[in-house]
Amino acid sequence: MKKVNVFAWIGLFIFTIVVLAGCSSEKDEAANGEARAELSYASSKDINDMNPHLYAGSMPAQGMLYESLVENTQEGIKPLLAESWEIAEDGKSYTFHLREDVVFHDGEPFNAEAVKLNIEAVQHNAEKHAWIKLSTKIVSVNVKDEFTVELQLSEPYYPTLVELSMTRPYVFLSPKDFVNGETKDGVNGYNGTGPYKLAEHQTDEYAIFEANDSYWGGSPQIKKITSKVLPAGETTFLALQKGEINFVFTDDRGADSIDVEAMEQLVESNDYQLVRSEAMNTKMIVANSSRIDNPVSETAVREAIWYSIDRDTISKDIFNGTEAAANRLFSANVNYADVDLKVRDYDSETAKEVLEKAGWLLENGAAVRTKAGNKLALNLYYDTNSASQKIQAEFIQSSVKAIGMQMDIIGEESSSIANRRATGDYDLLFNQTWGLAYDPQSTIAAFTSESAYYHTTRGITQADELYKKIDEVMVSTDEETRKSIYADIMTIVHDEAVFIPITNGRVTVVAPKGLNDISFKQTQYELPFERMSFE
Amino acid sequence: MGSYMVKRIGIAVPLLIMISFLTFVLINLSPLDPAVVVLQAQDIPEVTEELIAQTNEKLGFNQPFMIRYLHWAASCLQLDFGVSYVTGESVWLTIAPAFLNTLKLTLVSSVFIIVMSILLGVACAMREGKMMDKSVRGIAFFLTAIPSYWLASIMIWYFSVHLDLLPTSGMDSYRSYILPVIVLTISYAGIYFRTVRSSMLNQINEDYVLYGRASGLSEKKITMHILRNSLQVAISIFAMAIPIILGSTVVIENVFAWPGLGRLSVKAILSRDFPIIQAYVLIVAVAFVFFNTISDIINAAMNPKLRKDL
Repeated sequence: MKKVNVFAWIGLFIFTIVVLAGCSSEKDEAANGEARAELSYASSKDINDMNPHLYAGSMPAQGMLYESLVENTQEGIKPLLAESWEIAEDGKSYTFHLREDVVFHDGEPFNAEAVKLNIEAVQHNAEKHAWIKLSTKIVSVNVKDEFTVELQLSEPYYPTLVELSMTRPYVFLSPKDFVNGETKDGVNGYNGTGPYKLAEHQTDEYAIFEANDSYWGGSPQIKKITSKVLPAGETTFLALQKGEINFVFTDDRGADSIDVEAMEQLVESNDYQLVRSEAMNTKMIVANSSRIDNPVSETAVREAIWYSIDRDTISKDIFNGTEAAANRLFSANVNYADVDLKVRDYDSETAKEVLEKAGWLLENGAAVRTKAGNKLALNLYYDTNSASQKIQAEFIQSSVKAIGMQMDIIGEESSSIANRRATGDYDLLFNQTWGLAYDPQSTIAAFTSESAYYHTTRGITQADELYKKIDEVMVSTDEETRKSIYADIMTIVHDEAVFIPITNGRVTVVAPKGLNDISFKQTQYELPFERMSFE
Repeated sequence: MGSYMVKRIGIAVPLLIMISFLTFVLINLSPLDPAVVVLQAQDIPEVTEELIAQTNEKLGFNQPFMIRYLHWAASCLQLDFGVSYVTGESVWLTIAPAFLNTLKLTLVSSVFIIVMSILLGVACAMREGKMMDKSVRGIAFFLTAIPSYWLASIMIWYFSVHLDLLPTSGMDSYRSYILPVIVLTISYAGIYFRTVRSSMLNQINEDYVLYGRASGLSEKKITMHILRNSLQVAISIFAMAIPIILGSTVVIENVFAWPGLGRLSVKAILSRDFPIIQAYVLIVAVAFVFFNTISDIINAAMNPKLRKDL
C-alpha cells in the first residue's frame, strides 16, 4: 500500500500548489504600474551585429543608436545632424553645416572629421553598397572647417539627400570604434549619436537600450527599451497578456508577430492600443517578363492576372481591413507617383476577353486555355514565413482558374525567394516595394539591378527605353523634367503589368494604453521611440 | 574492462570522421553558389558579380572540395568551426553558449525523466493489471499523445498568464526551468516508464525471483534485485535519451524562447548560415556517439558478459 501513498502525496502536492496559486491570481496590476517609463518589445530575431555600415543588424535597433545628416519626413528632407546645407549650381557638390552640440555616446565629438571618416569607411566597402547609387557617385569628402563638410560627387544625383537620410549605411559611428580606421571587418563598439545607447546585449535573448541623457534633442521620456527575442505567435501573445513585454510592431520583412485577431483581443482587454501607419509600401506579385516560352512573358497574360484579382476581398477577408486594396505600383502619396494610369479594376470578364484576344482559347470542355499547343500554366512562389501570402496565393489560384489559367503555388523560405528573384528562376512571386523613404527612386533603380527587378523588366518591349529613362531621372537636375520622366517610367511598367499590385502595407504597433505620441517615420523599418511618452 | 573501454572508444573515432565528412558533403551538395548564400545571409540588398568574386576569393570557395574539407576538419579539431555567414562572429563562440543552455535544460529534464520513469515503471509493474497500472498507463498515453507545443502553450497560459506564477518564456532564473522541464518530462517519461515497466515484468517471472521468495528473502530485497537487473536495459535507453532530447528540444525552445541549440539551428537553417549548421550537426552527432559509448561502457561494467563481444 505504501506506493499508492507516494502517488497520493504527489497528487495532493500538485493540487495544493494549483489551488493556492489560484487564490493569488487577482492582483497583477502592480507590474504594469511599475514599468511605466519602459518599453519592452518582442522581435523574432536578435538585434545582431549593430555595425551601422553593414546590413545584418536589426533596423529598428540601429535607428535608435545612429543618426544621419538629414531626415526624410512627410514634408520632405529636414535637418538632423546637419543644420543646413547648400547644393552647388552644377549639382555635384553638397556642403553641410553640422550641429555643434552633438557628441557620440562615448563622449567623442561629432564633427566634420567624424563625418569624413564614416563616409570614407562606407566607401571603402563600396561593393556591399551597390544598391544605394550614391555610393557609386561619391568622389571625395572634404573637411572645410570643424563643423563644415563638403561632399563631392562625380555627377549630379538628385536622390543624394534622400539616400543620406536612410537608416544605413550613411550614419555615424564614433571613430574610436573603428578597427584600423575601417568598419568593414567589424567594429569595437556601437557608439552612435542617437537618442538611445546600447546598454546590454545577450545574443538571442535580449538587448537593452537606455536613454542617452546627453542627446542633443533632449533626453527621451522613455528611459529604457528592451528588445526581447521571442518567437512570433502564441509565445509573444502570451507574454503581452502577462505584461512581460508591452510593445510589438511590424518587422522589417513586413510580418507581424501576432495575427489580427490576437491584436484585437489585446485591445479589447483594455490594456493595449493599436496604432497603424499610413500606407507605407505596396505588396505585389512580380511577373518575370523575360521568361521566354512561358505565358508570363506576354503582356496580355499579366494583364489578365491583374484583372482577375479581387483586391477588395483580399483586403477585407484576408487582412481584416488592415490593408487597403492597391491598384498601382506606387500609391499616389508617394513622391512623383501622382500620375494618370490606366485603371484595371477587378473584372474577370475583361480578363477573359484579354486572353481571347491574345489567342489563348478554351478548347471544348477544357479547364485550361491553350495557344498553339501550349497550356496557360504558371507558377507562383510565396514566402512560407508569411501567414497571409499563402492564403492570398490560394485565393488568387482559384480566381485565375475561373478565367482558364492554371496556377501552381509553391511556398519557399524568404532567402530562397530572394534567390529566385536574383536569378530570374520564377514566373510570378510575391514582393513588396521598399517603403516611402525608398519609393520611388530606390525601387525604380532596382528595376535595372540583377538581384532585384532586372528579370522582371528585361522582357518588356520598351526595356531599353525604360533603362535609359531610369539613368536619366537619377541625374536630372530639373524638377519638371524629373516629374515627366518618372511619369513615363511608371506608365511603361504599369501598361506592361509586370508589377501586379495587391494591397498597401502598413506598419502596425500594439502599445500599452497610455503611451502617447506614437508616430511613424517615412520608412517601414524604424519607429521614433524618442518621441513617445506615457501620460 | 580497461581494454574494453579502449576498444569501444577506438570504434568511435572512424565513426566521427565519417560523420564529419557526410556533414560537409551534404551541406556542399546544395546547388546554391556559396558566395551568394553568404551575401544574402548578410542581407546585402544588391549582390553584384564583383562582390561574388571577391567573396569567393576571401572565403576560399574557389579551392577544390577535398582541400576545403581537410581544411575545415583540421580546424574543427581545434574547435575552430569558422565564422558565421550572418554575424561574422566565431561559430564556436556562438554555438557554445547555446549548447550549454540546451545541455542545462536537457540534464535537468533527464533527471526528472529518469526518476519519474523508474518510479512509475516500478509502481506499475508491481501492480500489473490493477487499477493503478491501468490508470497511469492511460493517463501517460494521453499526455504523450498531446503535441508538446500545444501542451506548452496551455501551461504557459495557465501557470504564467492566468495564475501569474512563472515567467512565460526566457531563461532568467531557476523559475524559467519549471515549465519547460515539466513539458519535456511529460513527453519523455510517458514513453520511458513503459520500458522500465516491461523489463521489470520480464524479470519478475525469472527463476531467481522464485528462488529468492522460496528461500525467504524479504519482498523489498527481491524488488531491489529485479530493479537492478531490469535497469540494465533502461540505462542504455536513458543514456541515449540525453542526446535525443538535446537534438530535439527545438519545439520546446521555440515556445519558451529558450536561447538554446535548437533555436540557433533553426535560425541558421532559415538563413542558410552553413558554418553554424555544419557545427550543429557535428556537435549533435558527437553527443550521440559519446552517450552511446558511455551507455555501452556502463552496461559492460554491470554485465561482464558483454565485454567479450568486442
